[in-house]
Amino acid sequence: MSTMDFEYAIKKDVRNNPIVREVDQARQRQLWRSMGIGMFLVVVLLFSAWQHFELLRHGYQIERMQQERAAEEEINRHLRLEIETLRAPRRIEKIATEQLHLVAPTRDQAIVIERVTPAAPPDKSVVAAR
Amino acid sequence: MPDVDGSSRFRRPWGLPRRGQPSAPHVVRRDPATLAGWRDAVRARLIVCAAIFGLWTAAIEARLVYLQVVDHPDLMARADRQQTRTVVPPAKRGEIFDRNGRLLAYSVDADTIAADPSEIDDAAGVAASLCTVLDGCNADRRTDMAKKLGRRGAFVYVARQVTPSEARKVKDLGLPGIMLLKESRRYYPKAELAAHVLGYVGLDNVGLGGIESAYDSQIRGKEGKVLIQTDAKRHALFSRVERPATAGADIELTIDQYLQYIAERELRAGVEANRAAGGTALIMDPRSGEILALANWPTFNPNAFTKADDDARRNRAIQDLYEPGSTFKIVTASAALEHGIITSKTPVDTTPGYITFGSRIIHDTHHYGLLSFTDVIVKSSNVGAIKVGQKLGPQLLGEYVNRFGFGQALAPDFRGETPGIVWSPDRLDPSALASVSMGYQVGVTPLQMTTAVSAVANGGHLVQPHVVRAFIKDAKRLDVPRKVLHEAITAETAATLTTIMEQVVERGTARAAQISGYTVAGKTGTAAKLVNGRYQKSDYNASFVGFIPSRKPRLTILVVIDSPHGNGYTGGAVSAPVFKRIAEASLTYLGIGPTINAPPPVLVARHDSGGELEVVKRPAGTAVLTAPFEPARNGLVPDLRGLSAREALRLLSRIGMSARMSGDGFVVSQNPEPGSALVRGDACNLRLGRRLSSAAAGGSPP
Repeated sequence: MSTMDFEYAIKKDVRNNPIVREVDQARQRQLWRSMGIGMFLVVVLLFSAWQHFELLRHGYQIERMQQERAAEEEINRHLRLEIETLRAPRRIEKIATEQLHLVAPTRDQAIVIERVTPAAPPDKSVVAAR
Repeated sequence: MPDVDGSSRFRRPWGLPRRGQPSAPHVVRRDPATLAGWRDAVRARLIVCAAIFGLWTAAIEARLVYLQVVDHPDLMARADRQQTRTVVPPAKRGEIFDRNGRLLAYSVDADTIAADPSEIDDAAGVAASLCTVLDGCNADRRTDMAKKLGRRGAFVYVARQVTPSEARKVKDLGLPGIMLLKESRRYYPKAELAAHVLGYVGLDNVGLGGIESAYDSQIRGKEGKVLIQTDAKRHALFSRVERPATAGADIELTIDQYLQYIAERELRAGVEANRAAGGTALIMDPRSGEILALANWPTFNPNAFTKADDDARRNRAIQDLYEPGSTFKIVTASAALEHGIITSKTPVDTTPGYITFGSRIIHDTHHYGLLSFTDVIVKSSNVGAIKVGQKLGPQLLGEYVNRFGFGQALAPDFRGETPGIVWSPDRLDPSALASVSMGYQVGVTPLQMTTAVSAVANGGHLVQPHVVRAFIKDAKRLDVPRKVLHEAITAETAATLTTIMEQVVERGTARAAQISGYTVAGKTGTAAKLVNGRYQKSDYNASFVGFIPSRKPRLTILVVIDSPHGNGYTGGAVSAPVFKRIAEASLTYLGIGPTINAPPPVLVARHDSGGELEVVKRPAGTAVLTAPFEPARNGLVPDLRGLSAREALRLLSRIGMSARMSGDGFVVSQNPEPGSALVRGDACNLRLGRRLSSAAAGGSPP
């Protein structure tokens, strides 16, 4: 028998129908378990990376906001200084006398009023009781 | 997938070749011997690989151990240098307020121009560019700047604490090696106001004068330390506060801003009108020893203290000694009255108008003849005062000089206070005793004289003068209490002396100090200045010291004018008018009513709305304001916090309550508390302040 004939004979006789794939349940579970663990590790890794980058981002943000707050506080201090400078008595008197042409009141014009408030009368019921 | 034994999970007929294998015409059988040899070869190779891997791991581990243990300190230091930056936040210097919370000294950040010369190639060019944007930059400054920038080094200051506009212009230039730093700078928003009290602060934030220097350690605070973790671009990533900066304590002064302004304004006017060399004015509360105003002329602006000369920066009130002249007769009179050596009516013979001590002759301005002791003081007779001093003797007079606080530094709030010069009683010869009796040959400061007269005003207690009212740190207030040093004289002597001093103003040498409606007690003083051991005939110290209202003193005021060359030179002609102007303005500002023929007080009569009028005994001439009651909401005290004094008063008067107010500004707290039961006729204590506390919720209508 030649090789050709032998191959033909073999091929001719091969029938795939009887070949049946056997499902190995244990390996299937192992596969899913492995995939699950892998996925979990990936998620943990991603979560860790996300946390890290969030930390960095918030770090920058906090620093920027602290700088902004310090700048605002400094502006506030400058404005307060400006207000107090504008409140200087000499400046106010200069504006009053030179721009608004006001004059200081004389002793006769300024009257000190002393308020004397009498005590409140007793309640009517107390008066009635007497 | 092959099985352990090399077979497939798919059953295939025996002898069928696998995929990829060349189809064999015959079936290859597995030889167990060949299979074992292959396994040995693989095992050997694995062992070699494992050994190499092990060696590699061991090498790595060894290197790690070396780096983390042996090289650890060095590497950590290098990492810290690269990754962390240490910032030292400066401590904010405490603020200084007046007694009503008005700001007098304040610190803000200012830009400082610095340079790294190693990054500058053209020092002259950079200096020229900087000079174009800096105010007041001349050729000399430009040359200095170029020298600094040309030095070898990593850091030099170019201009410290420049103005914001200058800093902006420098930043816009974008010069290489030039940087802007932040430094704390002290500002005095009221400029010259109370300059001698406040003092000033140098570039390095150290107090150099006044309160700034005396309490520098409390005001300065402590700088902090912050570690900043940076990224590769040196951007701040995280910061950790190692030590927070501690702000210095705030200081509340006894000074009243407006009284201070009044004193400075009138003193300046007095000095200029009399063409004097300078002057001092002091206002003190005689009861507490609080200095309400301390003014000197000439003065300076502490924001630019380097431009002022030493004469302007000198605090004459505590550093200058002067011979008080006749104002010192108060001491002589006190000692004599206290020991019963003399009474106010005892006659003193001043004939013939002069007295001699060897070749020295002391004159009165007029020949007064026989005077009562009151008139000796009223007319300021030198001969009369000397005769009383002779009766006292050196020991007794010396004792009272000490009792009134002369010859000793009195105020702890001022550095460099001069204690004064007084005689030891044992060394007082008759001539010196005569001089001291009339206020010569003693050196006193204006502050000492004001304190001594305050002792007369308050009934005889020598109260320590002070200018600091409270320290405020970490929201805690530490009040400086009133301190009585000792009793200088009895209340009876003080009262007698007050009566005599009233006469001085009423009909004596100080008639220019009279204020209509008020009783004023005071004493003038005129003393020739001692220059190079000789008394000058053209230069005098003219002074006036007094208190007002004399029967219930609220203010002791001293005015000393140095070398007046205008209309007169005496205390009565020069200083008394200045006293009068200061006193008048102060009384109006403080709302102190007249004491002579005072108008009757305004009575506020209340009646219930719809009810009958309350019966009020009305003195003749008394004005009566009537205001109907308005029912308060739920009969409870309204919340007045946050309201102005005027609004709060209006509300309280509507609901039948009166008010007792302290402070200035808005209602900060009240007693009774908001929501408590309303009792008509009761007084509501209101504390006013310029800053609303966080608890102040704002007023609500009743």
